[in-house]
Amino acid sequence: MSKNILIVDDSESIREVVSFTLENEGYQVLVGVDGKDALKYLDGRSIDLIITDLHMPEMDGIELIKNIRTMDAYKHIPILFLTTESQASKKIEAKEAGATGWIIKPFVPAKLLAALKKVLR
Amino acid sequence: MDKFKNKFIEEATDNIEELEDSLLLIENDTENKDLIEKIFRAMHSLKGGGAMFGFSYLSDFTHNLENLYQVIREGKRTINKEILDITLASVDHMKTLLTIDDLNNEDVIRQHKELIEKTQNITNNTESVEDNQSNEKIGSYNNVEEKSYYIHFEPQAEVFKDGTNPIFLIDELNSLGETMVLAHFNKLPEYDKLDIIQCYTYWEIIISTKEDFNSISDVFIFIEDQCKLEIVEIADFDIFSNDEIVEQISVLTQDSEDIGLPKIQEIVKKNSTVKILNKELERVIANPNLSTPIKENTISSIRVSANKLDHLMNLVSELVTTQARLNLIAEKSENSELITIAENIQKLSRQLRDNAFDIVLIPIETMLVRFQRLVRDLSKELNKEIIFLTEGADTELDKTIIESLTDPLLHILRNSIDHGIESPEQRLKLNKSPQGKILLKAFYSGANVHIQIHDDGAGIDINKIKRKAIEKGFIDENTILNKKEILDLVFLPGFSTAENITDLSGRGVGMDVVKRKITEIRGEIELDTEVNIGTTLTIKLPLTLSIIDGLLVKIHKTHYVLPLSVVDKIYVTDHSKVVNKYNNMIVLDGEQIPFYYLREEFDLPESTQEVEQVVVVKYEDKKIGLVVDEVEGEYQAVLKSLGKIYKKQEMISGATILGDGTVALVMDTNKIINRFSQTIVNVKQNNI
Repeated sequence: MSKNILIVDDSESIREVVSFTLENEGYQVLVGVDGKDALKYLDGRSIDLIITDLHMPEMDGIELIKNIRTMDAYKHIPILFLTTESQASKKIEAKEAGATGWIIKPFVPAKLLAALKKVLR
Repeated sequence: MDKFKNKFIEEATDNIEELEDSLLLIENDTENKDLIEKIFRAMHSLKGGGAMFGFSYLSDFTHNLENLYQVIREGKRTINKEILDITLASVDHMKTLLTIDDLNNEDVIRQHKELIEKTQNITNNTESVEDNQSNEKIGSYNNVEEKSYYIHFEPQAEVFKDGTNPIFLIDELNSLGETMVLAHFNKLPEYDKLDIIQCYTYWEIIISTKEDFNSISDVFIFIEDQCKLEIVEIADFDIFSNDEIVEQISVLTQDSEDIGLPKIQEIVKKNSTVKILNKELERVIANPNLSTPIKENTISSIRVSANKLDHLMNLVSELVTTQARLNLIAEKSENSELITIAENIQKLSRQLRDNAFDIVLIPIETMLVRFQRLVRDLSKELNKEIIFLTEGADTELDKTIIESLTDPLLHILRNSIDHGIESPEQRLKLNKSPQGKILLKAFYSGANVHIQIHDDGAGIDINKIKRKAIEKGFIDENTILNKKEILDLVFLPGFSTAENITDLSGRGVGMDVVKRKITEIRGEIELDTEVNIGTTLTIKLPLTLSIIDGLLVKIHKTHYVLPLSVVDKIYVTDHSKVVNKYNNMIVLDGEQIPFYYLREEFDLPESTQEVEQVVVVKYEDKKIGLVVDEVEGEYQAVLKSLGKIYKKQEMISGATILGDGTVALVMDTNKIINRFSQTIVNVKQNNI
């Protein structure tokens, strides 16, 4: 069974590069354009990992993470967020909200997969 | 000296084979450092050994080649097709150099010079002024020295809650280098107080890696603020290479308590002086082939001459025969002590037999290199793209069987490449992928080994075979044959479907020779094909040649042995049920089974017994009954050939000597059933 990964980002190019990389590795990829959009996938279906951006319209990443951590079905699933080197404060905030780890932008596919390996088998 | 020379030739042949193998692998994986190392290593030992045992041409030649691979190893050049082609040609040349003492053949000299020149050109193109001898320096092997670290990793209890799995992190550490991981569970609470989403485990890890401190701490980056983490460098070398340290640490780990950093540091300190000495020693030994394998030096195999093995097998066979005699005499004597001893000896000799057999079994892997090479060379020559896949390469067979199997298999492969797989253009037209596939698959099936060669090529048109057979007068135009029978025609001497025989398949061996060779080793061959889908050749082989487990039966006054591998069940039947039957069918366990009354088939007088026994054997996918006077029991038959005079008969595959000195004949049930069923068909045809 291939793993299902949900990607949430408002930038289409980021979404594409991430899904391309992951699909190449044999993962099933679901895509949401912002927090609100992402929630519609969290309807009880099996998801193994969520990768989300922090800055997004409608519902931002931090709020999404907090939201997910209240849902029984997804309380403990790994969540990675995308961030840049300069946003150290955001990192702490996201961690406190319940994120598992992060991926620093800009990233190459290898770095993305390395981060993935830490939380998903 | 000659003795050593032979040993070197043996070793060099292995080296060359390994070299060839690695080269074929690296073709698809040109960046693979391990393979490059392997290639380099093989060349280096060829060079060193060659110089020592008087193969100076080989040594010089390889030295030259080694220079090129030194450049590649240093990353100044990547392997490309040109380099590979030259190297492979060089490998062939090395084989020649191994067989001749002096360069006196003009072709060889020309080849020698040409290859040296080509190799030098490539080497010099990349290297500026650098000294070619640099490869003699040792120490450039591991540019980055391994270091060893101690890690204490204790995640907070809540770590699972935000999706972290510490095991993944340990796995990641594992991928960085050699590790020793100790999980400690002493913080686990009582069962009824256990909260499954809390983490109670903590770890102590010792890792040796070429990665730096940062890459190790990076592993824990996501949870560094959620765990107690201690990473300390404990040694500037790979502590796993020091057996003393490893042993002392493992002693510590036996009690489930923490090892703790101080204890480890103490052990390392105590032993590192020894380690430094070892290191110096390694540096002194200039030949990397002597210095690197210190770890691998524990001997796991030895080389034994084939003659000795044959001799061992003969002795075991004799022992089995003698043991049968002992059994018989022990039983007659009714001396219980003697019987016990005889039974023990029987058990031991059976074990000895199985063990001795195991020794002479070798994996078919050993012949695969030749096949890979053939596929590569031939497909290039014919402008075809072919992927050669193997499955079950570790399947083991008797050494002698493998030896006699190589030629037939080479021929079959040649056929598949030449006639089977179509050209890329043609394949595209047929909606197939331009790359053809040839699969060599080996697997066990009962007491047999099956080897299949499958290609997804053009297949063979059955009608074409039939037309050809009629043309050549093998069959009558009116003969009605099923698919299998038609396909079997291919194995007749003088049959060849190739419209125009290319020089490749026209090497004088036809499918009839293939079949003959396989029959010689008691094997069978079958062909299955589908036009445009592909062809599959299945070869069924016995595991070994000299001893079989058999069922001893008696017919009239003679003993016969049926191979136990084909026997399905044994039934008792009334004499009246098997004689004078019109349709030769008998109902056993509610199943109708065709049978042969062997007394009748062997032209022996009818039995006066009231009860006889039916041995049901497997024949192709069917069950056939063979009626014998009585079944005496299991018997290990040491096969002896019947000699030249009886070579033409097929029904008896050999003879064996029973405990009382009489001879039993070993039946080839397939051939027997084949033969008798044909006679029936013939009789029927004559009647019509």
